[in-house]
Amino acid sequence: MSTSLDTRFKKIVGSESASTRSRWLKIASYVVLGIFSIFYIWPLFMLVNTSLRPFTEYLQDPGGLASSPSLANFGDAWELANFPQYMLNSALYTFTATAIFIASSLFVAFPIARGYFKGSKALLTLYVVALFLPPALIPQFQLILNLGLYNTRPGFILLFLINPIGMIILVNYMKSIPKELDESAAVDGASYTRYVFKVIFPLIRPAVATVTVLHAIGIWNELILPTIYLTDPALYPITRGLIVFEGVYGNNWPGIAAAVLMLMIPILVLFMFLQRYIIGGLTAGAVKG
Amino acid sequence: MQRNYLFGSEGRWSRLTPIYLLIPGVLLYLVIALGPSMATAAYSFTDASGLRGADVNWVGFDNYNEFLFEGLASRDNLAATVRTLQFSVLVTFIQFTLGLILALLLNQKLKGRTFFRTLFFIPVILGVVIQGLMWKLFLLPRGGPMASIFGLFGAESEFLGGLPSEAFMWVVIVQIWANVGVTMVIFLAGMQTISDDLYEAARIDGAGGWQLFKSITWPQLTPAINTNFLLNIVGSLQAWQLFLVLVGYKNGTQVLGYLVFAEGFGQGESPAFRQGFAAAASIVLFFLVLVIGFAANKYVSWREERYVG
Repeated sequence: MSTSLDTRFKKIVGSESASTRSRWLKIASYVVLGIFSIFYIWPLFMLVNTSLRPFTEYLQDPGGLASSPSLANFGDAWELANFPQYMLNSALYTFTATAIFIASSLFVAFPIARGYFKGSKALLTLYVVALFLPPALIPQFQLILNLGLYNTRPGFILLFLINPIGMIILVNYMKSIPKELDESAAVDGASYTRYVFKVIFPLIRPAVATVTVLHAIGIWNELILPTIYLTDPALYPITRGLIVFEGVYGNNWPGIAAAVLMLMIPILVLFMFLQRYIIGGLTAGAVKG
Repeated sequence: MQRNYLFGSEGRWSRLTPIYLLIPGVLLYLVIALGPSMATAAYSFTDASGLRGADVNWVGFDNYNEFLFEGLASRDNLAATVRTLQFSVLVTFIQFTLGLILALLLNQKLKGRTFFRTLFFIPVILGVVIQGLMWKLFLLPRGGPMASIFGLFGAESEFLGGLPSEAFMWVVIVQIWANVGVTMVIFLAGMQTISDDLYEAARIDGAGGWQLFKSITWPQLTPAINTNFLLNIVGSLQAWQLFLVLVGYKNGTQVLGYLVFAEGFGQGESPAFRQGFAAAASIVLFFLVLVIGFAANKYVSWREERYVG
């Protein structure tokens, strides 16, 4: 899209009145966007501001500005909240589950995309159907409980090894790779496994990146499943740790704010680098006719 | 012909290899997701609890009876059902409208539009814990940032700790704040697909701004409109986690998704894991989503026929 709305308006209403009109339109747009922005910038600003204030100063005037900013709260929260442990747990869960999910999905998505076995269409339908079914929460709990995996790391990771939407994105992307490639690879003597890993995988990298990022962010941010499945604080991921921290240190908002920021920074850094893939994934297939 | 190089008698690859290799992924999916999802219906007819090895007995429609008809509790359950609908209608309508307005504004050539797009999208990736705690801080009753804005107008509020109806409204606001970015990017992606030629042609016919929107942007945006409409409805019917972070399981604010979690995992008033009952409640929610989703889908295809043909 090269021509934007305001230049369109310019073309439409002729040059003279167009420039005045388009200037007013621009000003009005900035005013509306400015008002919206306040509600996005201000809460973030107050979070940072609060995290920099000593608790006693905060109590005297909760809404005030930090008079002598200090990073002390970050250190306190880091230790009090057992943050290194939680961060490590979150990283472990996110990394392991995402890696297993991607590896296993490649080998499901590829033959589905190619129709290399009977019933491949039906299998894809099964993945679509899941999006409309009731949540699996209760029977899933019974399953994990009776397998003896309640309150264990493997049991918890098991819950994150699937992602129907991710699978559908992978299948759709693989369809764009010509089938002739499979044949020449087979003729050249590449094994099936090798071919999927060494040829298909690099070719669908954009889709893999999208699915990986969306899946990983979902795990990193998950609050409900750790609340249900993990009772041992040593196993908590950071989200659960933070909520417990908030419960214990109820009104110590400088500490909580520092902790929230520490949870937020890794996600923001990831977002800055991978924005394209995240937004690409969310809008994939959403705007086609 | 083609496939002979790959599989079959002269093929280089065994026909079975792809099947063996897809088994782990499919098995995981069936056991962890699809199976449990369907088993919810079966569990809703039992008295399953959260104890390992405890008996699970068939109790027929008891759970549904209790949910729908028995005493004061059923009145609360029905109130929660109605509230779920209110939440969904409010969130869908406002989020859709704001998302469209933001997309229209940011589809213009404005300085700093990338900044605005990023800013409005960021909450989407932060997750409920950060979203919730950020607003809990912002909405602290005495001396908090929002309280001082209210103070300027001589108003006072307990915000999340106040009347249930008020706490509910704040959750609606935070829910929209957190997710309007998705609606916006889907609209923006839709707007990129509209050809400039259409606007050119309309210009020759002397169409003004509003007419352009009505006769080009809106109909051409149909796929994005449909996606956002359905996503918002289904998403908001099932959303409840911000209630957990912002207000907890508080009387007069419960929605169905939260009720399922609270009853099933002892997070409500009673510490018992009433999983059979929770399964029944989640089937009620499922039917709600099904009926409303189906109606919305019908409406959407009707619109599509009308606009796209």
